[in-house]
Amino acid sequence: MTTIADELTIERRGHARSAARRRTNFVIFLGPAIILTVLFFVVPVIIDITVSFTDLSRSLRISEFTTEQYQKVFRTDRRLSQVIGLTFIYVFGTLAIFNVTFGLILAITTTAIRNVSGSFFRGVWLLPRMSPSVLYILLWLWAVSPTEAGLVNQVLMQAFGLDAPLDLLTSAPIALIIISNGFIGASMGMIIFTAAIRGIPEHLFHAAAVDGAGTLAQVRFITLPALRWPISFVTIYQTLSLLVSFEYILLLTRGGPFYDTTVYALYVYRRAFESGQYGYGAALALFLIVIGVVVALIGWRFFDMERLLQRPRIEVH
Amino acid sequence: MIHWKIGTAALLSAALAAGSAAFLAATPLLAQETVKLELWSRQDPSGPLRPGNVVKAAERLNKELEAEGSPKRVEVTVRESPAKGFDDDALQLLKVFGIGEGPDMFIAAHEWICAFQEDGFVLKLDDYIAKYPQHFGTIFPSLWSSAKCPDGTYAIPQDAEARMFFYNKKLLREAGYDAAFVDAMPQRALAGDLTMDEVLEIAKQVVDKTKAQYGVLHRPNKGPDYIMVFQAYGNDFVDPATGKLLLERDKLAAAFGWFERGVKEKVIPANNTAMEFDALRKEFYTGNAAFWMYGIWDLGSVAFPTYGLPQDEKAFFADWGWITGPAPEKGGAPVSLTHPIVYAIAADTKEPELAVRLLGHASAVDLNTDHAVTTTHLGIKPEQLQDPRYAKAWPLAKATELLKITKFLPNNSQFGELNGIIFAGIQGIESGRLSAQQAADFVIEEASATLEDVTVK
Repeated sequence: MTTIADELTIERRGHARSAARRRTNFVIFLGPAIILTVLFFVVPVIIDITVSFTDLSRSLRISEFTTEQYQKVFRTDRRLSQVIGLTFIYVFGTLAIFNVTFGLILAITTTAIRNVSGSFFRGVWLLPRMSPSVLYILLWLWAVSPTEAGLVNQVLMQAFGLDAPLDLLTSAPIALIIISNGFIGASMGMIIFTAAIRGIPEHLFHAAAVDGAGTLAQVRFITLPALRWPISFVTIYQTLSLLVSFEYILLLTRGGPFYDTTVYALYVYRRAFESGQYGYGAALALFLIVIGVVVALIGWRFFDMERLLQRPRIEVH
Repeated sequence: MIHWKIGTAALLSAALAAGSAAFLAATPLLAQETVKLELWSRQDPSGPLRPGNVVKAAERLNKELEAEGSPKRVEVTVRESPAKGFDDDALQLLKVFGIGEGPDMFIAAHEWICAFQEDGFVLKLDDYIAKYPQHFGTIFPSLWSSAKCPDGTYAIPQDAEARMFFYNKKLLREAGYDAAFVDAMPQRALAGDLTMDEVLEIAKQVVDKTKAQYGVLHRPNKGPDYIMVFQAYGNDFVDPATGKLLLERDKLAAAFGWFERGVKEKVIPANNTAMEFDALRKEFYTGNAAFWMYGIWDLGSVAFPTYGLPQDEKAFFADWGWITGPAPEKGGAPVSLTHPIVYAIAADTKEPELAVRLLGHASAVDLNTDHAVTTTHLGIKPEQLQDPRYAKAWPLAKATELLKITKFLPNNSQFGELNGIIFAGIQGIESGRLSAQQAADFVIEEASATLEDVTVK
């Protein structure tokens, strides 16, 4: 027989236990994410801000704290406007042509054909992403080699009767970095869009067919509306990824000829590591961090990402 | 008491004497002290004996120490850096010193030495050089100027070389130039009669009239050779009065103009800076280019072993040759550039004396000649000229002729960075992104914005 006091004690214990469990769950489930975020985002950002207010240069020594690096960014660096313009063309071009549009076309076409063939073509398009970056770019360098031995030149000269080999690395470097990055970026969109298309209940397509809708109408009125959120996700994710990654550009063109393919992230790298201006590199990198956070927040708001992360509203019985 | 004291003292003395005898007998084995000295060296196939000679020198120094009765013995460990060139290597090493992980000794291109001096990483050597005349007394005086910073000497010259325009005589003859003209080019260049623009003209004839695709090729990355062109047009980059970097817009534009005309005439390829080093060499040594702007060691390191160019002097000069950097106009001064590599010692090494002596032994006539004859670099001491091996290596004797007019890169701590900007200017011109005037403006703007104390005229 328990008294009221005992019951209250048990209840309190229960509350205490559930509070303790909540704390434990918090640590278990969110702890790793918090640690990773602090270690790989918060701490580097703090270090970057600190370094950007110093004169840290080639021998990694700090002799004074200064705002000189920011004066350089806003006053003396005449390359910056060109670099920012190029970065916009590169990110927008790669996203619009390949990562979203071409990824979508691949997903729609490979889900429309027989399953085996669809899987095969998706596998082929995944190959660039699975190859090590250096190997992938080595193949590109061979493909666009300015000699007669280059793949593109072989095709153009033998099949289309071109007289002299083309030097695409000099004449069309921006197009090349967009295409080489796009071939890799398209596969991510392709996988996500394919999964989303597979998730659309099949009876909707049957019903549309009965109502007389053709393939294009089905794509327009059923597939695309269902892909709104995946498209938002791919756009934001790839924008951020394109803004900060430059390894394929560095390997393919080294940022050249001249500064033609030096996108912002590569410019930061060249300033910091090729010229030894670490303080200035840190100041430039800080803008990249700010731009990244702002793009993510705008995307979150503009594409209504919050709804994407809510529970699915399709009931499955 | 006294008796007791004496007895005790006697006993103690005996015990001490016996102990000391035993200790002294064991001393040579027990007290030998190994001093580990670390040498930083770039992995460089064109000079493997630069670190190799230091390792060999340790044996000589150890024998010397043994003879002196010193308990110290030196052990050298080589820390190899994978940097592609001496500029990248120096930037890397500055960082290594910056975090306190620097080596005891290092090998560097001479123009970087004052960058290390400015940050206090390198040992001043004037007193040591005076103290060991047997090691350093006969090194060519002109070479020491490449190892000096404003307040003294900070390095030991390890080698020298000569930079030039190699040319393919066969292609020139095929293009219609007679043998006498082709063979007289080196003398004409030295006399200031052959001009920079005539080189472009000859190269154009070769491209137009033979199967060769290229007229003039140069290195694809930042480095010293193309600075010859700038020196030909009067750019010395340092104000002799102040020692500060000096940029003269008109002279820069004149030098860039030569590259601009070269590309316009389709003599210098627009993608020269995008090509691989080995690909460029292959184009020249397999007869697809008229001129190759590079240095004498390329013969020993690449041309002879890889492309089978004749090693016999007469056979070589039948189809190949080199000219010094020509004058900008008839009657002007020709140029050649030498780019000494130097040994240096860290300011914080625990054994500066031993490090100096070690590098002294590494600079011995026979060891330096090993390096010179195997990699076609010029020696550092006049005694080497007497060595039959040196005399037999005809490219060295021939290249020594260029030393009469040779210049160094400026020993300014910021020249390495300035050179990177100049290289970007060349890249801008060749790829058609900049005109010569714009390239000069670009160099001045960029250098003024990123370097300190730049004088612009």
